[in-house]
Amino acid sequence: MKKILIVDDDPNIRDYLVSLLEDNGYATCTANDVRDGLKVAKENKPDLITLDLEMPGEWGPRFYRQLAQDDELKNIPVIVISGLSGNDYAISKAVATLSKPFDREELLGIIKENII
Amino acid sequence: MAENILLIEECESHAKALKLYLERSGITVFIGTTIDEMQSRIRTKEFDILLVNPFLNGQSIWSHIKKIKNGKPLLQVIVLCTKKNLDQAMDEFGTNAINFLEIPVSSKALNLAIVHARKCIANEQRIALYSERLADLEHDRTLYQQLFNEVPCYISIQNRDLRLIGGNTLFQKDFGNQIGEHCYEIYKHRSSPCPICPVAKTFCDGKSHSTEEVVTALCGQQYHVLTQTAPIVDDDGEITQVMEISTDITQIRQLQGHLSSLGLMLGSMSHGVKGMLTALDGGIYQMSSGLKKNDPERIERAFDLIKQMADRIKKMVLEILYYAKSRELQYETVDVVKLVRTVVSTISSLARKNSIEIKTDIPESLGEMDIDSNWLQAALVNLAENAVEACQHDKGNEKNHIVEFRLWEDADKKICLSIKDNGMGMDQETREKMFTLFFTSKGSQGTGLGLFIANHVIKQHGGEITVESMPGQGTCFQVSLPRKKPEESIAPFGKSLEAPSLD
Repeated sequence: MKKILIVDDDPNIRDYLVSLLEDNGYATCTANDVRDGLKVAKENKPDLITLDLEMPGEWGPRFYRQLAQDDELKNIPVIVISGLSGNDYAISKAVATLSKPFDREELLGIIKENII
Repeated sequence: MAENILLIEECESHAKALKLYLERSGITVFIGTTIDEMQSRIRTKEFDILLVNPFLNGQSIWSHIKKIKNGKPLLQVIVLCTKKNLDQAMDEFGTNAINFLEIPVSSKALNLAIVHARKCIANEQRIALYSERLADLEHDRTLYQQLFNEVPCYISIQNRDLRLIGGNTLFQKDFGNQIGEHCYEIYKHRSSPCPICPVAKTFCDGKSHSTEEVVTALCGQQYHVLTQTAPIVDDDGEITQVMEISTDITQIRQLQGHLSSLGLMLGSMSHGVKGMLTALDGGIYQMSSGLKKNDPERIERAFDLIKQMADRIKKMVLEILYYAKSRELQYETVDVVKLVRTVVSTISSLARKNSIEIKTDIPESLGEMDIDSNWLQAALVNLAENAVEACQHDKGNEKNHIVEFRLWEDADKKICLSIKDNGMGMDQETREKMFTLFFTSKGSQGTGLGLFIANHVIKQHGGEITVESMPGQGTCFQVSLPRKKPEESIAPFGKSLEAPSLD
């Protein structure tokens, strides 16, 4: 079973993504900030990550930079899901950038295409 | 200058002799030998000099000449007469004649008299011209003074020491007639010049400068003004004074402040709104998948989430509406205890969910009070929610979290409510900024409007709000409110945009 890491500070949105992804046959793990996210990523080696940009403490781009420096993690595809407008270039190497509130089918489609 | 002279003399041969003499110097001379001739000549032609022997047939014609002289004040009169009449002529004419010549006339005396008459004519013409100009000037001066006075701006004139040396009517009305005082004392009650002074700049470079200032009138009213300056130069082109024109733009600034803070608010909230909408989507998804799977636990959780999101969105929209629209309070009479119990019950489910204990010290009855129950209740709920959230976020210790409500009537017959928590508390900065517009310590969860509005609503009711807080120890809000509508209420939003200050 492919595993997806969800990084978002809003517990309601984490719950939503967990239910949505598990209902569609993925395993999930979650983190509510950048530090936690890196830790969970190292422990679980997820197949894909959804990443919020604006979080308390360090922001999403910082997470991505640290991820990219880790040889074990740098090839994991990242989908940005954020409430910030004009966020397309915040993480240019992300496989996709979705705006909140996002479209469920669009997200599932992108995951399907990108999960290795 | 070639003068016209009217010569009146009853002795025609003497007259002709004089005419001949005068015409040699290029002067035109007309002769008259009777009163009638004199009057008809005067009527038909302009004369500069009347050379007259005022004794025709032994009778003085002074009264006739006086009439002529009244009609033509510029006409110069030279009297000719015999030695025996000279004294009487002088008595009669006095200063109306510029010269008295004795017959037989000496040519030297006549020449001098003519020259003297010329000078008098020239002087009087000049004086006439000057007085005409002076009248014009006076008229213009009145006009400009009126323009200066009636301009619907504050105009003041200042010298190099920034002392006032004049002001228009509006300036004097609102700032007093304080000639000689310093501009900054009158406008701003300062004891030293303003750091950026457009008047000083204009004295320096002779150009117009502008600034925006807040000035305080005699009555204490503050005005936002756009101040512009212009140099006033003397005849040598040196700037001796500077004119300062201040236009009242208070209303524009208030409107602008309101609009820009509205824009700022919408911008700062959009992230929070998007988060809530996404969570709402999540709730709907969980609800529908829960129904499909027939999973009651999931359905219940989803319903809880949807309810929570609906509440938050409702609250946020109400806050925006409250801020966006200046509204007067709608007073009604409510039961004090009932109101507070409603507030407590509104937050009790949130408290229960987070294992926070609620203690109350509320009397059986405290009578009624006049309030806008919608807004006051919302304000109190906001304070109560803050207390619960302060406990909720106070993690990493084994504290039993408690929120205490206490309600009583104080010595001034005011209704007092204290809401005390033992949550995370606030540092000084948060305490100082907590009532400021758009300040939030909750990240995207807060609008920064809640406490700002709560404070404003309580002030609008004539109430007071105080806060004590220590980081790590907890916070206590205390609200005191009069039972009746205050006589003088503070303005709703749109009129007063200042963030309320911390008591």
